[in-house]
Amino acid sequence: MSETRPSASPSRRLWILIIVLLAPAVVLPLWVPLYNRTDPELNGWPFFYWFQMALIPFATVLTIIAFALSRIADRKDREARDRARDPQQPEDPR
Amino acid sequence: MNAVAVSVFVFLFLVVTVLGFAAARWRRAERMDNLDEWGLGGRGFGTFIAWFLIGGDLYTAYTFIAVPATLYAGSVVGFFAVPYTIVVYPLIFLFLPKLWSVSHRHGYVTPADFVQGRYDSKPLALAIAITGILATMPYIALQLVGIQVVLDVMGMGQDSDNWVIKDLPLFVAFVILAAYTYSSGLRAPALIAFVKDTLIYLVIIVAILYLPSQVGGWGHIFDVANDSFTTFNTENADAIAAGEVAGKGIMPPAAAQWAYASLALGSALALFMYPHSVTAVLSTRNRSVIRRNAALLPAYSFLLGLLALLGFVAIAAGVTVGDPPNPQLAVPQLFENEFPSWFAGVAFAAIVIGALVPAAIMSIAAANLWTRNIYKAFLKRGATDAEEAQQSKYASLVVKFGALVFVLAFSKQYAINLQLLGGVWILQTLPAIVIGLYTRWFHRWALLIGWAVGMGYGTWLAYDVPLPGDPDSHFGGPLVLFPGSETTKVYIALLAIIANLVVSVVLTFVFRAMGVDEGVDQTKDDDYWADEGDEGVELELDPLAEPHR
Repeated sequence: MSETRPSASPSRRLWILIIVLLAPAVVLPLWVPLYNRTDPELNGWPFFYWFQMALIPFATVLTIIAFALSRIADRKDREARDRARDPQQPEDPR
Repeated sequence: MNAVAVSVFVFLFLVVTVLGFAAARWRRAERMDNLDEWGLGGRGFGTFIAWFLIGGDLYTAYTFIAVPATLYAGSVVGFFAVPYTIVVYPLIFLFLPKLWSVSHRHGYVTPADFVQGRYDSKPLALAIAITGILATMPYIALQLVGIQVVLDVMGMGQDSDNWVIKDLPLFVAFVILAAYTYSSGLRAPALIAFVKDTLIYLVIIVAILYLPSQVGGWGHIFDVANDSFTTFNTENADAIAAGEVAGKGIMPPAAAQWAYASLALGSALALFMYPHSVTAVLSTRNRSVIRRNAALLPAYSFLLGLLALLGFVAIAAGVTVGDPPNPQLAVPQLFENEFPSWFAGVAFAAIVIGALVPAAIMSIAAANLWTRNIYKAFLKRGATDAEEAQQSKYASLVVKFGALVFVLAFSKQYAINLQLLGGVWILQTLPAIVIGLYTRWFHRWALLIGWAVGMGYGTWLAYDVPLPGDPDSHFGGPLVLFPGSETTKVYIALLAIIANLVVSVVLTFVFRAMGVDEGVDQTKDDDYWADEGDEGVELELDPLAEPHR
């Protein structure tokens, strides 16, 4: 079975962008040597602990941006599908 | 036993019980006697409810007990729970909306339903269903272990030598849980999750604001923990060198870095293939709810990280946990020692209610697997929607009492071991489910044999891991030496999934060359992108419609 998706082309670039955007949220937490040390300390917290806690809001911000982009991607796909179905109607009615 | 703490605890437990039964009337549908309603709460939950439901589902009471326990015991590798719960959300963001779409188009209730539709293979769907049930049962049992720990610290029922009285509180809690899950289905944990999470957030925020200052501030806490581990290591230097006792520390040793990362990755990949996470995700209204929640749910991860560090706080506060030591008592004991008794009652209720929510969802998910992929697929093919729902209700009772008997009859360690194996097993369904969302390149028989190899290899590896200090014991931990390495340990599940994938790829080529029948794919490309409002995706699924199978 092929993976072509007739309506995929309008959002393809956006999806690549989303994946690039989300990649650090997966890679950084798994890159243990990067943060497996005590210094610099923050308010008594060893780096190991505060860095991982700081990754949580960092990953959250990336995911929020990815979410906004995915909404745009979904809207573009929907418009493309509607146009394909009904060429008379170029805009999404909603 | 403290009368104030117990009264507050019992009061909150009663509130939750009333909510559990009342949930049957919440967001009521015209007909409740089908799996979309009982098992998926009508498939209509929005962002707000889903946040509580999924959060209540994934961050279980056992996690709240076990993760700080590992830090208390000086095994900092347990902090992998934090990277694990960061990594999981981008994965959920990318994978699960596809599963949502195809499941809504075709009326799939379980991950095994999807595999059946995608690969047209009853044996493969059965394998996925059995894996899901096997992995879920010990997980439910662990929620009971979490409840037991709290009851222990409260001193409820533990004074008696008579096992009936000793285990009565746990038994009563579970009978009530079973009764309202039976009558309300997924609506019960969804509604109770509001109470659970409000209480948990309240307790943790108070604990984090109040406790560290009580014991001298964070810097002092890390110092005391470090000193206590260093003292331990000096006193037990010989035993550590002989491998009889594990060394302690507040930083993971360099050799444990791979273990840390592989546990985080393996657990993140396994998490959303657990039937209970799929159940929670399929109960949402549309794709955006899942994606928005992937951005909102990390709030729980922050909570979990802070909670984990309460293990160190407990050391700084001088909490002792009995002899022989049971580190799982550390956090409840800390609450008991440091909080006024009424608030300790609130904290204990939060943990116990935190066990009831996931236990309910897990039993529903396991029951759905039984009904859809064993009962309907093999035992009674023409089962009506009402028969399916009834069958699931019975199965949820069986699953829960199975877990109860398990915890009461066998050692707690047994449940923990099996839960560990469950993580290894559930990851073996990844090729069929997650890769299946993207491509049908794999041959169905290759997937089945790859699954069997992964299950067998993973179980064998885990069997060979002894507990520290007891070379004859088995299932002692989730890590093994990487093949060919002297010091680098990795998570067993990742080794097993690699074996699984290699076998699946090779055999796919073999079966294709031999021209073995590949079956018919029921799904179309378009199905993986469908959203609420699209053709074939109804707001609330019509319970009378025939599922497309």
